[in-house]
Amino acid sequence: MAFEVDPRTLLNKLAFGPSDAELHSIAKMGADGWLAQQLNPPVEDDCAQRIASTHIHLKYSSKTPEAEVDEDRSLAVLAEPIEQHWKVVEKGLAGQERTFFRTAVACATTIRTVHSRWQLREVLVDFWHNHFNVNAVGDNLIAVALPTYDNQVIRRHALGNFRELLEAVAKSAAMQIYLNNRSSRGGAANENYARELFELHTLGRPAYLNALYNRWRDVPGALEGRPQGYIDQDVYEAARAFTGWSIEDGTGIGAGRRLPMTGKFIYVENWHDNYQKRTLATEFDPYQSPLADGRRVLDLVADHPATARYVCEKLCRRLVSDTPDAAVVAAAVKVWTEQRRKPDQIARTVETIARSEAFRRSTGTKVKRPLELYASFARSAGIAVAPTPGLLGELDGSGQRLFGWGPPTGHPDENDYWLSSAMMRRRWSLLLGLADDAWKAGGPQAALAVAEKAKTEQAAGAAYRQMLGTEAPPKVTTAIVEGMGLKPGMAFDSRKDALPLARRMLAYCAMTPAFQTR
Amino acid sequence: MLIRRHFLAASTALVLAPSVRAFAAPASPPPATLAHRPILVTVFLRGGMDSLGVVAPVDDRDYVADRPPEMRLLADGDKPALRLDGGPSGLDFRMHPEMSALRELYQDKRVALVHASGLDNGTRSHFGAQELIERGIANPDETAHVSGGWMARWLAATGSGQQPAFATISGVPDELANHSNTICAADLRGGMNLPGGKQALSVLNHLYGNGSGPIELATRRTLAGIALIDGPLRQPDGKVMPYKPAGDATYGDTEIGRSLEAVARVIRMDVNVRAFAVDMGGWDTHENQPPRLANLVGQLSRALAAFHTDLHDQMDRIVLVVMSEFGRRLRSNKSNGTDHGHAGLTIVSAPRIAGGRIHGTWPGLSSDRLDNAVDLAMTTDVRSILAELMMGPLNTPDAANGVFPRFVPKKVGLLA
Repeated sequence: MAFEVDPRTLLNKLAFGPSDAELHSIAKMGADGWLAQQLNPPVEDDCAQRIASTHIHLKYSSKTPEAEVDEDRSLAVLAEPIEQHWKVVEKGLAGQERTFFRTAVACATTIRTVHSRWQLREVLVDFWHNHFNVNAVGDNLIAVALPTYDNQVIRRHALGNFRELLEAVAKSAAMQIYLNNRSSRGGAANENYARELFELHTLGRPAYLNALYNRWRDVPGALEGRPQGYIDQDVYEAARAFTGWSIEDGTGIGAGRRLPMTGKFIYVENWHDNYQKRTLATEFDPYQSPLADGRRVLDLVADHPATARYVCEKLCRRLVSDTPDAAVVAAAVKVWTEQRRKPDQIARTVETIARSEAFRRSTGTKVKRPLELYASFARSAGIAVAPTPGLLGELDGSGQRLFGWGPPTGHPDENDYWLSSAMMRRRWSLLLGLADDAWKAGGPQAALAVAEKAKTEQAAGAAYRQMLGTEAPPKVTTAIVEGMGLKPGMAFDSRKDALPLARRMLAYCAMTPAFQTR
Repeated sequence: MLIRRHFLAASTALVLAPSVRAFAAPASPPPATLAHRPILVTVFLRGGMDSLGVVAPVDDRDYVADRPPEMRLLADGDKPALRLDGGPSGLDFRMHPEMSALRELYQDKRVALVHASGLDNGTRSHFGAQELIERGIANPDETAHVSGGWMARWLAATGSGQQPAFATISGVPDELANHSNTICAADLRGGMNLPGGKQALSVLNHLYGNGSGPIELATRRTLAGIALIDGPLRQPDGKVMPYKPAGDATYGDTEIGRSLEAVARVIRMDVNVRAFAVDMGGWDTHENQPPRLANLVGQLSRALAAFHTDLHDQMDRIVLVVMSEFGRRLRSNKSNGTDHGHAGLTIVSAPRIAGGRIHGTWPGLSSDRLDNAVDLAMTTDVRSILAELMMGPLNTPDAANGVFPRFVPKKVGLLA
């Protein structure tokens, strides 16, 4: 079936906004060809070079002068394995060495969202980072684990198989630390991970039936082995199943022995609760082989129909609208379920959503989140991004602090949240700062052509065309020109301040509803 | 000592001259000036405060048996918990040793506690429980006939549905859902300016003077909020005026400190904001709880005390309620933490409050008295507390029915 959709909608929803280059490639290969490529990106990071050549200044003092650091640190370290990153923990280096990793991953994200060819993958990376949220700002040990989490867990599986992604997350140092499973022990297990596994990662809150049923066997379908949802008893038992799943963080394991310090996953048999369990109406015999209990829980939750509904609905909310119609969700659920043993389950599901009628009609339904606002401005206005702490600081204050959202829900994905007065102020300051290059992270090249226009309203019109891809409504150009204290018909290119005014025009065009939404 | 004198002075005034308080006036005509209309401040402790680690009967056998010493309040030792008079059941209820400032307010009878209070729903989900409490309902299906947050409904019921409310977080909290005129600012120390200044204001006014899409409406609301709040913050030279709390109150450079200071500042501006929603995060202590909880309760206690000191001359019209989505499990886990529980602790400060007492029925901690045999049972619905405050010091007796339709509040006895 031919895939007919407005290229700008396609790029606003399945990419971080249109860029001249991307519009060109869709014109050349068609929406079909573009989507097919995006669904099957190469493993290699096409931004690796750009990231490795980016440096972030790192400076801290120390009691011993030789341990002081004052240098530009390359982001190339992101590609190293976790045991390399964990050396800052092993050696007990300054906290700045730990937080650097969060800064570095966030900077790499500001590069990939703008410059990666594999935009759909980056959109899904953002989705899964929120779905499987960790807070690397609140805990600097999570920051050390973040590069591996970003690359080897989230990006690696972003378009892959959900069950594989789920296990990679469960074993990751970032999630083990964030939801405390690494300190969970048989006898009185820590329920944090198990609870959010059910509520946020898989079956979802609509399937939490605790207010209705106190006993597992009362849950409808339980006696047939197919419970409709879960209750606290399932959480308790799943928490027991994951005891012993931990990371090599130097913890003592008895008899004077300690785990190594590498940040890698490890299963500690001594910590595991080996007795029989029952989760989602399924009996687990005692003394299963290593990891078997936890894996069984992951199998059960990944296969549960509520998970398909919950995750597909969330994907549709991200890619279509806050209130996706039932047909697109149902179509996604069908493909998700049919493809659940396939390595490209997520890609197939996303394709189904993208080819839906609801998607085709979804122009402008979503308010851009700050990361999307930033990246789409950079892409439309032709900024070659060289991230700086200033840019990152602005994004951190925008309401969407990358890898720094506290609760395990991830950032809200509903329009109203992003339109509060605090958010609106930050949206405007983000756009003005990008246009003015306030953080020395790269200026908007598109301003040059705008500044060459002879008259004020022509300049405003050119800015609008650049940012929105259509002719500006006359009342918008008039509003911008007059609002800036200029007059229509006034000469523009001959002004000394034409370039800074042109940059501002790009920002004001980006403040229009058409640019603020996707 | 200075702080303490303040409290004493204010509380004495309260006892001796109740008849001159605005709230003592009969329900009839509204108070003459806006300055005397009651103000509601809610503090939501996100993550589930371990109420049994904050206020608990240290001599309760089950309490002692079910938690190791480092996870519970102690009657003696290096840091004994602070004794509280007025506890139920003849038990030795005590407060966390880091909360001496709040305990002073309690002893001065300016603050009351309601233990075993919370949500009438068995959920142990943070997000489920928060949403239900903030919307003032007991079950998700009630959203079919009860819309928005309970604070939003209260504002509407009091005829202030169009007046601004203020939230000290980036996004509008569920308590104020549907109250579109909510101003959000986490901190006012840097002001609440418009990025881009006059030029941006002029362009935005040209672009959004009318239009009814969500972005246009949000823009106009934001510009109005900036005009209301930012102007009074500035000195003639345009710089943000440093804030000097009364009585040398120290809020602390913490989330709760900055937030309550911002609230005090807006109250002092007297711009007819009557509802404030404050958040404090970090209470989800599944792991390594003792030092984390000590830190949190210390910050909370100091900020609450500073608020009372700073606004000593305003407290006769301020109702402040501190709540959390749930308490935590009686038995701790092996991570030195506690998992999600049920009933929790509500802290109330209000004029004419029956302070210095722990209200509500204490259900006990033996396993047959626990909810699901593991968690503190709920004996006071948080809505009963709020409804009683509406009928009393908030001076909006007709509001409670509309705010909590189909809910029949029970008497808590919070009012002296």
